[in-house]
Amino acid sequence: MSVEAAALDQWYTLGALRDFPQGESRRRLLGTDLAISHIGDRFSVGDLPVRTDYGHLWTSLGTPRPLFDIPEVHEADRRRVYCGAVTVRASGLRLIENFLDLAHFPYVHSDVLGVEERPEVARYEVEQRRDVDELWATKCEFFQPRAAASAEGGQISQYMYRVVTPFNVMLYKTPPTAPNRWDMVALFVQPVEPDLSIAHPYMLVIDDSSTEAELVGFQQMIFLQDKIVLENQRPRLLPLQPGRETPTRADLSSVLYRRWLKEKQLRYGVEEPAAFA
Amino acid sequence: MSWIPLALSRDVPPGTTRAVILDGQELVLWRGEAGTIQVWEDRCPHRGMRLSFGFVRGDSLNCLYHGWQYGAGSRCMRIPAHPDLEVPPSIRATALEASESGGFILIDRGETMPPPAIPAETPIASLAIDAESGTLLQLCGAKLLAGADVFETRLDGIALTLGWHAVRSGHLMLHAVARDAGAESRALLALHDLRASAERKAA
Amino acid sequence: MLSLTDHVLSAESYTVRLFLALLHLPYNKIAADAYPGGEIVPVLRDGQTVLRDPGLILAHLSRSYDSAGSWLPAADAADVARWLAIAATDLAVLSEARRVAVLGAKGNLAVLNQKGRAALRTLDDHLAMRRLKGKDWMVGDGPTIADLAVFPHVMLSHDSGLGHEDYPAINLWQRRLRRLDGFTGMPGIPDYF
Repeated sequence: MSVEAAALDQWYTLGALRDFPQGESRRRLLGTDLAISHIGDRFSVGDLPVRTDYGHLWTSLGTPRPLFDIPEVHEADRRRVYCGAVTVRASGLRLIENFLDLAHFPYVHSDVLGVEERPEVARYEVEQRRDVDELWATKCEFFQPRAAASAEGGQISQYMYRVVTPFNVMLYKTPPTAPNRWDMVALFVQPVEPDLSIAHPYMLVIDDSSTEAELVGFQQMIFLQDKIVLENQRPRLLPLQPGRETPTRADLSSVLYRRWLKEKQLRYGVEEPAAFA
Repeated sequence: MSWIPLALSRDVPPGTTRAVILDGQELVLWRGEAGTIQVWEDRCPHRGMRLSFGFVRGDSLNCLYHGWQYGAGSRCMRIPAHPDLEVPPSIRATALEASESGGFILIDRGETMPPPAIPAETPIASLAIDAESGTLLQLCGAKLLAGADVFETRLDGIALTLGWHAVRSGHLMLHAVARDAGAESRALLALHDLRASAERKAA
Repeated sequence: MLSLTDHVLSAESYTVRLFLALLHLPYNKIAADAYPGGEIVPVLRDGQTVLRDPGLILAHLSRSYDSAGSWLPAADAADVARWLAIAATDLAVLSEARRVAVLGAKGNLAVLNQKGRAALRTLDDHLAMRRLKGKDWMVGDGPTIADLAVFPHVMLSHDSGLGHEDYPAINLWQRRLRRLDGFTGMPGIPDYF
């Protein structure tokens, strides 16, 4: 299967740097097997471009523009938390879209990120920032009974979302402990096959009370709660044809995301138009 | 074309969902308080989530992903993210023509004809079998009933009505009811033997 | 106070969390770095007693905190023990498959899933036969720790791609179990059903 330029010309993570042993190891990306060499502090992936930013190994099968910036990584008081890779039998685009979704909190993350009694998604704003080619959703709000590992009680959480490439996204939310700052949770997706993905959640958080295991456990809990949904969406690939699914106002960010993918002519992980009549 | 049995009525009591695969197509069977069996495509029109993972409340089926609530007529009644929204009637799940007879849940695939009248009997079990229906019919020396994929046979001296549906090539679900009560355990053991014979023959 | 070294994704840890919840017992939960760190879970500490085997933990909690003796009925102790052993062997294959499919552990997923399907069929046959005899639970007349030991492995099988379409008796039994007072889910076992 040939992969289109829109998918090739992107940066993808292959995992956290610390998870690569010294010597050779193997990973798979966009249906291609890759040999990774790790000697001392040096990483190489054949003769592909390589970056080691944000504690992760990055590569590309095409000609990517510079790797996106995560300014929060330079703030000294943030804890960097690697949450472990999780394999999901779904299109990576489904993973990103779910990450942008607020409306599922009361049902999929019940009594943690949402409660059934307060399911309303208030109007929020979305924009495509064409100068940097990123999508942003801002002014998102949701009532959460236990917004983070360190949360003691309920709060109205503020969220912002930032989509930097079709398979890389981050969210910012108000931490229970520092209301004037933003916690950052990133989801780096490694598309292995069109319908098979490895998720690499990564956090830069303001939290000096939780243990590392508590922070990791919280994020793993959230992510594995999503997995049961992601693997049971039909089709497994993301449909872009209008009418195939039914968005509402709460899905504004998903609508913008799908439009952006179409504009980019991205097809990897997208349902083929001919797949249904 | 005829009615196809998908499950035993007993196995979908009120308040539950059951996922069934028919020729590769994912279906959800569910029953609300009112008791009428529902057979739908196993897919929420919103974001494609399988509704069999959802939850039944009263007489509605609710999607696990975002809580979209569907009434027995398959119309979406409520979208929790927008509590005040009057949901347009065009938003609905895809329902199939379903009926119950003789302890089986059946769907009509093809031309519409009345559901078959199968006498009320004692439910035994549904069994997954790695074989084709032809192999089963051959082993049972069965007599097909008109209008449905259902046949009568005797196993270990027990009179049974059996129905089946194909899950995919080489794999089917067999649904069994006994014509008389009293020998249920023995009937199930006989069905286990039938399954073993069919799978040996298929292998 | 009881303390449990726990990991949110572990099926074996969940068995213990679930039983503690059903017994309405307070306990101190310590998050372990089981993945990716590899710490061993669960570990239950009760005074001087330290237990690691999920079956032994369930039996210990039954004997110490279930005064009615309903979770480990004396009359059915042998049957319960047999299912605890199956949960730790034949059915634990399902959780091994899950670690391979989800967490990248080493193993042959196709072979594990084939064994897993055989184990699910055995359980479904057992539950179907029990129901024909008017019994709702795996052993005896009510829920026991045999049900609890088996439940997580069975419920999480979809994580390695094994659905429950083939197992109608399992489908009804797990719904019954989720209706028990005090029931709690885990990621992959929704609270809603």
